Amino acid sequence: MDISWADRIDLFRFALSAALIAGLVCPLIGVFLLLRRTSFYGIALPQFAAAGVVFGFVLLPWWAQHIGLGDVTLEMALSDTHAVMNYHLAWAALFTFGGLFALVWLGRRGGSEIGRVAAAFAIANAATYFFGRLSPVGKSFVDELLQGEILGVGVHELETIGVLLGGVLVCIFVFHRDLVLVSFDREFALVLGKRVVAFETLLNVLVGVGVAAGTMTLGPTILFGLIVLPPLAARPFASSMNRFLLFSSLLGVLAVVGGVVVSFEWDFPLGASVVAVAALELLPALCVRRN
Amino acid sequence: MTLIRLQRAAFGYTRRPVVAGVDLEVRAGRFFGIVGPNGAGKTTLFRGILGLLKPLAGSVERSGVVIGYVPQRETLDALYPLTAQEVVEMGAYRRLSGLRAVTRADRDASSAMLVRVGLGEQRAARFSALSGGQRQRALIARALMTKPNVLLLDEPTSGVDRAAQARILALLRELHREGLAILLVSHHLSMVRESVDEVLWVSRGTVRHGSPSELLKPEQLDELFETEAAPEEA
Repeated sequence: MDISWADRIDLFRFALSAALIAGLVCPLIGVFLLLRRTSFYGIALPQFAAAGVVFGFVLLPWWAQHIGLGDVTLEMALSDTHAVMNYHLAWAALFTFGGLFALVWLGRRGGSEIGRVAAAFAIANAATYFFGRLSPVGKSFVDELLQGEILGVGVHELETIGVLLGGVLVCIFVFHRDLVLVSFDREFALVLGKRVVAFETLLNVLVGVGVAAGTMTLGPTILFGLIVLPPLAARPFASSMNRFLLFSSLLGVLAVVGGVVVSFEWDFPLGASVVAVAALELLPALCVRRN
Repeated sequence: MTLIRLQRAAFGYTRRPVVAGVDLEVRAGRFFGIVGPNGAGKTTLFRGILGLLKPLAGSVERSGVVIGYVPQRETLDALYPLTAQEVVEMGAYRRLSGLRAVTRADRDASSAMLVRVGLGEQRAARFSALSGGQRQRALIARALMTKPNVLLLDEPTSGVDRAAQARILALLRELHREGLAILLVSHHLSMVRESVDEVLWVSRGTVRHGSPSELLKPEQLDELFETEAAPEEA
């Protein structure tokens, strides 16, 4: 049976809206990670978030018995992972911020940034499988996230990602000038009397919130693709900082729209299709660099 | 008028002083050069005067003074797609926060600063695409945007060719003639000798004051350096 485009869009409107929000906001987070030469955080942090989600599943029986899940029973929570969305999100956020602050703290002690992030990724990846062994339900949920199959996103996930990434967008819009200043020339910002540590903390919080919400809702595949690829594609064509932010965001949205077309036309997972289109957007940038 | 006053000040890292017992008065309209062998503590003293390092001992007064800071351009990452004008506009960020946007007056002022430093034509060019000397002048324009009482420059002529050095120096002398106090760190002794009113010679954790003719005489240099490696003569 053929389903019309209108029906598909209506059927998957929550997933598509969530992906469009991520396409708009995640590249803005990626711009700052790229400029601060910490793009690899975009690989490691979603993996921490995934490990956090699985760990939450491991703890779920104990939590339901001793602390409670509101009106939701353990059986409901295990059969419908959307039922305790905030619980999973909290674990994703806790692990993401834990990983982020560990990376920042270790970064201040010097050494190889790439080595640190690679080690963090390896540990978070192993932890995901380790916790997955203890909680097969959590593992299968995360496997689904890793595949980038996001069409099951419901209204609750859309509301969550809308509020959290909306907050990230507003903060970047309001504070982008100061965030650029403290990233570009920290000492000049200090001499100007700017609250540099506060802005650096804000940036880390925005990254953590964006990654935790994005991983929990859309999975690490699409999230990492949208954080890293659009800014890389936009940078050679951006003649100013504002254009860099704008082009990155536009390319993120374009990748989602293109990914939806590819996914619906050829029946590929939506997340992976979005990343594939975002990768194609890199081609003009590669040509420009070669010239 | 005294803009910055250091009294028996000591600066260093993790409680270990690198320079100590520094007495200094930066008055309006004076031109200072901080010189000395590599690793002697020039940058530590400079960062202390700038306020980036708290004194480990003694006192530093700079209340009400606006410092225009010009960092070494190599410390700024070329990855940022900032235009020369966007970099200069950062000088206006002191009073801008949150939703307060850069105003037309700020844009006009930054354009005027770029013209002033000879970069009027390059305002839309990427900062990272400018030559070393042009980038240095753009950073001076950014510092001037803060409407400073005193300009602090870290190695402003390092790594640029002689023509660019001359242009930067001419600009600094012009600003000095207009009454701006200037303090720069440099290892170009000939440039310091020709330009500044007072020299701060940093060596082995101590600071000596004097005029360029007094401290930068060849025989004096021999004595000051002793066995230490001489700074590069430009």
